[in-house]
Amino acid sequence: MLSSAQQQHQQPFSFPREYFFPPFFTRQTNLTTHHAQLVKWSALVLAYCRHHRIFKLFLSYSGAVAPIYSSSTTPSKTPTDQQDPSEPGELFNNRKINRRLSLADIREVIDFLRKDGRAEYIYKSNGTTTTNMDTTAAPPPDGGGDVVWIFWRTPEEWAAVIEAWVEETGQRGSVLTLYELTQGEATRGTEFHGLDSDLLQKALATVVKRGKAQIFGQEDSQGVKFF
Amino acid sequence: MSRKGVGLAAFDRSRLTSAQYASHGSNLRTTNAAALETQLSVFRSLLQQFAQTHAKDIRSNPTFRAQFARMCAAIGVDPLASSNTQSSSAGGSSIWAQLLGRSVNDFYFELAVKVVEVCGETRGENGGLIEVRKVREEIMRRRMEGASEITEDDILRAVATLEPLGSAYSVIKVGSKPYIRSVPKELNTDQSAVLEAVQVLGYVSVSMLMVNLRWARARAQTALEDLVGEGMLWVDKHSDEWEYWSPGFMLESQELGGGSGSGVMPG
Repeated sequence: MLSSAQQQHQQPFSFPREYFFPPFFTRQTNLTTHHAQLVKWSALVLAYCRHHRIFKLFLSYSGAVAPIYSSSTTPSKTPTDQQDPSEPGELFNNRKINRRLSLADIREVIDFLRKDGRAEYIYKSNGTTTTNMDTTAAPPPDGGGDVVWIFWRTPEEWAAVIEAWVEETGQRGSVLTLYELTQGEATRGTEFHGLDSDLLQKALATVVKRGKAQIFGQEDSQGVKFF
Repeated sequence: MSRKGVGLAAFDRSRLTSAQYASHGSNLRTTNAAALETQLSVFRSLLQQFAQTHAKDIRSNPTFRAQFARMCAAIGVDPLASSNTQSSSAGGSSIWAQLLGRSVNDFYFELAVKVVEVCGETRGENGGLIEVRKVREEIMRRRMEGASEITEDDILRAVATLEPLGSAYSVIKVGSKPYIRSVPKELNTDQSAVLEAVQVLGYVSVSMLMVNLRWARARAQTALEDLVGEGMLWVDKHSDEWEYWSPGFMLESQELGGGSGSGVMPG
């Protein structure tokens, strides 16, 4: 029943050593040290999100950071079969050593990731909604926090993975529904099975922009054709 | 008078004697030289044989390697030094390098490259000062399964091979532990004292220094801030009193954290 990708995240994420190093949760004053710290945090965030297949992070003022799992348009996945118990905020809050990263510091990590093209604000709580081409705006967070894309694969990279699969299975030129791409039986076991639907849109948009695909249809019954 | 009358023949006699001495001397010299040459060639072939048969052991067995290095030192051969002179020798490689099939110095050169890698990659987090033991752990961690064991002794020798390059790499002692310093920076005695104190728990605070070293607050504060400024300590502000941690402790905390990664989530 579970795809290999899903089985993978049954395994607990093994945190790196710095996660158990108390000063890792304090913004370092020395510039070089601070840079080393940001590099380590970025790597940790990406690895954690990749492991749990988290596409969006929700950063609230309370300091609790909840991963957002696949959106509601994925019927095959109920919240219960997600590894939801992965304690919200575990990533930035190490209870073993009683240390947590402050929201300001988390934002700094996110900014560091953004410079690298590995994160993008969907909604920023200081009033401005960073709108990019995704039309399906994120749900306004109730607590008034930030919602951030974490691109452990960038939309371009996801597009490449999907294109490779389309090529491999000889479906170039045929119409595929977005639903079957991420939820269909045929894609079980591929990496993009279960991909966040908004992220899928972003990924496909990059292909459309290159003129290598076209998207048809309405809101909930969209299809895509690769040429 | 006649006793004194040695006459001209005396000159002949003395010439004869000295000639005999000379020829005897040169005889002795040639036999000595021949004997030495035989000894040397025997030694050379034996050493060559030894190095060939045990090349693998030299590379893979740390105890064996240490013994070999010690033996070389005892007979006045330095496999490392000999390879450093290789540019000056006409053949392009030293006699020892030829004899030992390069396996020994190659081993240390390869290791030196790894040491430089580890130091370079961790410089941002430790300010260019890292315990030799950590370097060893890090190198072992990166190696593939079944790779041969290396010792701290090997790492110290490897660092020594870097010296002719005029690099900043050197080994210093902090307390009783050897560290590799990869930035040209001298520690003052207060800083060394702090780093030594940090070794005990992994961190220190101002008051800990005041109590244990009987320092005035300003002195402790200055030493700590200097070390933070050098990137050699990390500060943890979440505790009651700020704690200053050794980044070397980051490499250790894995054991400390042990199975916590698995404990967090229900299986």
